[in-house]
Amino acid sequence: MYKLTGVTKLYHKGRRTIPAVTGLDLVIGDGEWLAVQGRTGSGKTTLLNLLGGLDRPTHGAIELDGTELAALPEPRLTALRARAIGFIFQTFNLIPTLTAAENIEAALVPLGISPARRRDRVTAALDAVGLADRATHLPAELSGGQQQRVAIARALVKDPTVVLADEPTGNLDEDTRDDIIALLEHLWRDRGLTLVLITHDTSLARRAQRTGVMNNGHLTIQPSSSPAHGAGQPNPVRHL
Amino acid sequence: MFFSTYLRRELRRRKRQSVLIALGLALGVGLVVTVAAASAGVKNAEAGVLSGLYGVGTDVTVTGPAIGTSCPSAPVSGVARPCITYGGTKPSKSEQTLQIGRNGGTQICQNARCVNAAGRTYERLTTPYQEPFSASAVAAVARLRDVTAATGVLTLVADTVSFQAKGAAAGDGSPSSGLAVGTFTVDGVPTGHTPVGPLAATTISSGHGFTAADADANVAVVDSGYAAASNLRTGSAITIRQVRFTVIGIVRQPQGSSPPDVYIPLARAQALGTATKNLGGSLTGDVNLIYVAAARAADIPAVQHEISRLLPHDIVTAAGSLASQVTGSLSDAAKLSSDLGRWVSALVLIAAFAVASLLTMAAVARRSAEFGTLKALGWRTRRIVVQVLGESAATGVAGAAAGIGLGFAGGAIIAAIAPTLSAIAPSSAIGSMHQMIQAGGTALGNQTVVVPLSPSVTTGVIVLAVILAMAGSLLAGAFGSWRIARLRPADALTIVA
Repeated sequence: MYKLTGVTKLYHKGRRTIPAVTGLDLVIGDGEWLAVQGRTGSGKTTLLNLLGGLDRPTHGAIELDGTELAALPEPRLTALRARAIGFIFQTFNLIPTLTAAENIEAALVPLGISPARRRDRVTAALDAVGLADRATHLPAELSGGQQQRVAIARALVKDPTVVLADEPTGNLDEDTRDDIIALLEHLWRDRGLTLVLITHDTSLARRAQRTGVMNNGHLTIQPSSSPAHGAGQPNPVRHL
Repeated sequence: MFFSTYLRRELRRRKRQSVLIALGLALGVGLVVTVAAASAGVKNAEAGVLSGLYGVGTDVTVTGPAIGTSCPSAPVSGVARPCITYGGTKPSKSEQTLQIGRNGGTQICQNARCVNAAGRTYERLTTPYQEPFSASAVAAVARLRDVTAATGVLTLVADTVSFQAKGAAAGDGSPSSGLAVGTFTVDGVPTGHTPVGPLAATTISSGHGFTAADADANVAVVDSGYAAASNLRTGSAITIRQVRFTVIGIVRQPQGSSPPDVYIPLARAQALGTATKNLGGSLTGDVNLIYVAAARAADIPAVQHEISRLLPHDIVTAAGSLASQVTGSLSDAAKLSSDLGRWVSALVLIAAFAVASLLTMAAVARRSAEFGTLKALGWRTRRIVVQVLGESAATGVAGAAAGIGLGFAGGAIIAAIAPTLSAIAPSSAIGSMHQMIQAGGTALGNQTVVVPLSPSVTTGVIVLAVILAMAGSLLAGAFGSWRIARLRPADALTIVA
């Protein structure tokens, strides 16, 4: 479970100070799907980076399952990301010189798993996203949708408790977008993940259990009436 | 496995840049290897010259004072030497002498009996131009502190004058018509094992060397060049002072400074030779050259001093002082490779390192998003740094291999096109009577030795090349790694967005 208390992130550009996130209080329950919308520059990606430990807040505290992320030294924070947090990026962020299977394996390398076990888990992950026959293809040989599937497999192969997705369908066409969202929803439901998804797409956001809107660093949470709602998933709602 | 796969693929993706970095390192390393090989070749040539002058393992030599028809007015080679004029006493009756007979013809006289020289050969075996001294001096030198070995040698010159039967029989009164004059050098050496001495620098190419049992035998070891010119082989016979010697071995010698043509046992040389000073004077128990080995290089000056005190009338020379007197294009080449060569190599290497570092840092900058993603996946900075250093090391290995190849090629080119070098060095004790007379009977002069330049790439140089290339590539990788360490994942991922 995530608990954010008075989280503020400021960026300094010369003499200017830019508040990306301001005084954010938020609780995200285990297994919850939270969608965050907002205009460009509203602080959505900053929020995601803070949740993933890729950045540290200027003020405030971020707890994940009782662990204060900002207080962790970098090696422990990195180890936490390796074990518990999966990322899905808008531009897929696959390593161009590695095959689909190797890109997925890259997520398991820090865990110290034996190569044989890694291969087994990679195979299972590729099966889960329907790309078993594309294991040896390089990213340049895959379509956008296939690349994003590989990215999803990479995020999930380590059995994380949290998946953070930053505009996962932003670079995809409509049909592919629907496929990816359906896949994400299926995997979220199947594995009981905590999913925080940033999107511009309102129709996508409505499928989440809760929707938040970022505006000038402030987050407003709105409850969402989505198919995910009432499907046995927890729904801790907290209004700012 | 993942590490090597990632490494290989990445180098392939940046093939052009990787090749450029490797080539830059190869150029720098190749230059270092070439200069080192040339330096080694020059040093080997210098060592060859000096070992020819001195013999392997010799640190100090002792020679008797020079004998000349007149004493030089100024010191020779900057060293004041005792000088004894030639003239001597009347030769003994047993010694051969040449005389002009009453009819004007040339006669060879020995043991109070003279015969017409026609059809005969006059032979003389003498010390060239050093005063001999007692072989007991060798033992005294060997007992000195810091001296590990001392070997006494009797250097002699065999002059032969062969008279044709027809010219002399015609009685034309000209002693010089119908003559065949020959000269060869003879060293009388101890026949037991000697760690220093003229034979220490030789290698047997046929037959065998002396043994202790040969001390009084009429056996000889012959220089390979002299053997070829005189059509000698193992088992052949040569005549020295009318005594027949059997060739038991043929040796190859460094052509540093007129190495002797023939080696015979010291006792036989002492018995057959005569002192130049008083022609016919016995050389029994005498030597005229002592080779000395010091315990350590640092002891050489002290050894030189002690021997000078022990033998105040004799000439004591250290190899180092002789080395400093070597001039000519060989020493110029040594200075060139040492000074200019090293500086140029260092500059090229620094340039290669700088280019490699800049290119690696640029590559890391271009891969910021990739490294940010890896950090997001949970890769520690250390693991990413190891990956980058691995890529740099692989480039370094390629650079080292290419550099060594370039170095070998450079050495081969130098060997092919480099002019033959010459070394002008003070003469050693060996010289013929003709040389002495032509030199006006002066003491040690200079002689020019021609040496080929053979660059040699040693194992040490190859190891140095590998270390330099790896150092350069890892330095480049370190700069890149520093950049990675400073990389914040959020910033790196923002670049992609």
